Amino acid sequence: MALTISEANLRLLIDLLIGAGKRVIGPKRVGEMTVYEPLLSGADLSPGTLPRRSAKEAFFPLSETILTYEKDKEGLKVTDVDTATFPETVLVGALPCDAAAPQVMDAVFSWDYKDEFYLERRRRTTIIGLSCTSADDSCFCTLVGLSPTETKGSDLFLTPLVGGGYSCQSISDRGGELLANYPHLFSETASVTPLPPARPEGGPVDLAKVKGWLEEHFEDEIWEEVADRCIGCGACAFLCPACHCFDIVDEGTEAKGVRRKNWDACAFGKFTNHASGHNPRDLQNKRYRNRFMHKFKYYDDKFGKTLCTGCGRCIRSCPVGIDIKGILEEIQKR
Amino acid sequence: MCDHSKNIYLPHLATITEMRDETADIRSFRLVFQDEQVRENFSYRAGQFAEYSAFGAGEATFCIASPPTRQGYIECCFRSVGRVTDALRALEIGDTIGVRGPYGNSFPIEEFYGKNMLFVTGGIALPPLRTVIWNCLDLREKFGTITIVYGARSEDDLVYKHELKEWEERPDVTLVKTVDPGGSSPSWDGQVGFVPTVLEQAAPSAENCIALVCGPPIMIKFTLPVLEKLGFSDDAIYTTLENRMKCGLGKCGRCNVGNVYVCKDGPVFTARQVKAMPQEF
Repeated sequence: MALTISEANLRLLIDLLIGAGKRVIGPKRVGEMTVYEPLLSGADLSPGTLPRRSAKEAFFPLSETILTYEKDKEGLKVTDVDTATFPETVLVGALPCDAAAPQVMDAVFSWDYKDEFYLERRRRTTIIGLSCTSADDSCFCTLVGLSPTETKGSDLFLTPLVGGGYSCQSISDRGGELLANYPHLFSETASVTPLPPARPEGGPVDLAKVKGWLEEHFEDEIWEEVADRCIGCGACAFLCPACHCFDIVDEGTEAKGVRRKNWDACAFGKFTNHASGHNPRDLQNKRYRNRFMHKFKYYDDKFGKTLCTGCGRCIRSCPVGIDIKGILEEIQKR
Repeated sequence: MCDHSKNIYLPHLATITEMRDETADIRSFRLVFQDEQVRENFSYRAGQFAEYSAFGAGEATFCIASPPTRQGYIECCFRSVGRVTDALRALEIGDTIGVRGPYGNSFPIEEFYGKNMLFVTGGIALPPLRTVIWNCLDLREKFGTITIVYGARSEDDLVYKHELKEWEERPDVTLVKTVDPGGSSPSWDGQVGFVPTVLEQAAPSAENCIALVCGPPIMIKFTLPVLEKLGFSDDAIYTTLENRMKCGLGKCGRCNVGNVYVCKDGPVFTARQVKAMPQEF
């Protein structure tokens, strides 16, 4: 017996969740693109295609206010942001590469000092993952230890079935709660046939071996070869489900304004530029080296995790064709 | 008053109570926290840094330049070189600035007890060592000899000039001050020459001595071999790295040198630690 939900009931579930006051984010068609966006109703859901941007905005918005300030006769006052106002969210239809990413990012936002902006959004979010049935040339989740059927990071996991509908697997207590809250939408089915999962090209990469190579090759021609062409647009970081770097900026006047936390990218020249003009990563290939090292060495050194889920967005959208998958495979051969 | 329960990016508010122009473009502030509890409880160690904000312009990272042995205020020192530091410079006595911190590691002062201390620094890199120098002087009997080698491009570029004078006059401090060739006036009574050269000539003994080096990358590069020649081991040499930072909390991802986060693992490192890092700073 398998627990299943029909296509129609999944859309009804979304309607009910929205009706219950939750923000439901899921893949939605916008023009030519599929993007993760708040759904207005279950009819908006357009599952199965990898959305153009990752789902990280659900926890880590592109730009968010971290405080407001105002000067009056009595002096300057700073007002905190009330994280209790963050919306209860259900992320539905997150493909395994997107569903697995927050667990990776949790480490940096929760070690030592706790970033409650990220963490409170995480606490308030339930993830309904979706098994992946369509991979393209750029996909490489299987290289970094994940797979199209990986349930890591999901609270509830859906697998598309032949003939429509999904089988449902509760992965966490939170997933179980969802099943318990809407029992009438799910049914027990005697026998189910899952759609064949996607098969990204390329076998697993020995990430420990890659890391070992990186350890010895901070200085290596490979960095010039693969990244001198980088134009520093930052698309890779902005589309990446795991890139977490940010900037802190004030918007306003000295008398009144907000302080914001905005996405930033290590590809940008000013990212590390000192006020004096000195820049430790003064060349584009050094910036790319940092990006690669951060994902496959530094983050692992620090937190024991790889900062990449193999979604392939950085490959698909790179205007100069930098191929992180190809680099991993090349290093694996060395 | 701010609620500091959860938001790690929320600054304390402080009032500028004193300011001093160290050079034409370098200014020092003395800051007093507006909240009484913060004023009483704010504690830090020499070497730690903070994020200082000029509201409307943003935050900038500097060390806490005053010694933790002095209570009731903190001091910082900055050069106007950008949006935030220009905005800080535009503030007046009585104005409010934001202070987040203290962040980072610190100099292991207690491990230096009983040692001779050598400070080697240049230009605006004196403030991060000034906190240690005063920390040592305030606990004078705990340390052996104290030698300071400090240089700048010209006489005008020396910071804390009144304190240099004070150290010069103290019998328990040896101050060797220098300016780069071409940077002196006829009345200059110090050395003329670059810091590493002057250090080599002064030749302080490495025996039972800890060297603290802080300065522009080029000065550090040429100073380390001199210290080595004088017999200092890599574990007896301390420096600070000064990478660009935003959060100061190990999250925003820009201050790393290899897998070392300068904001969390530093800013204080031994020469041995610095040599083990990828040379990208």
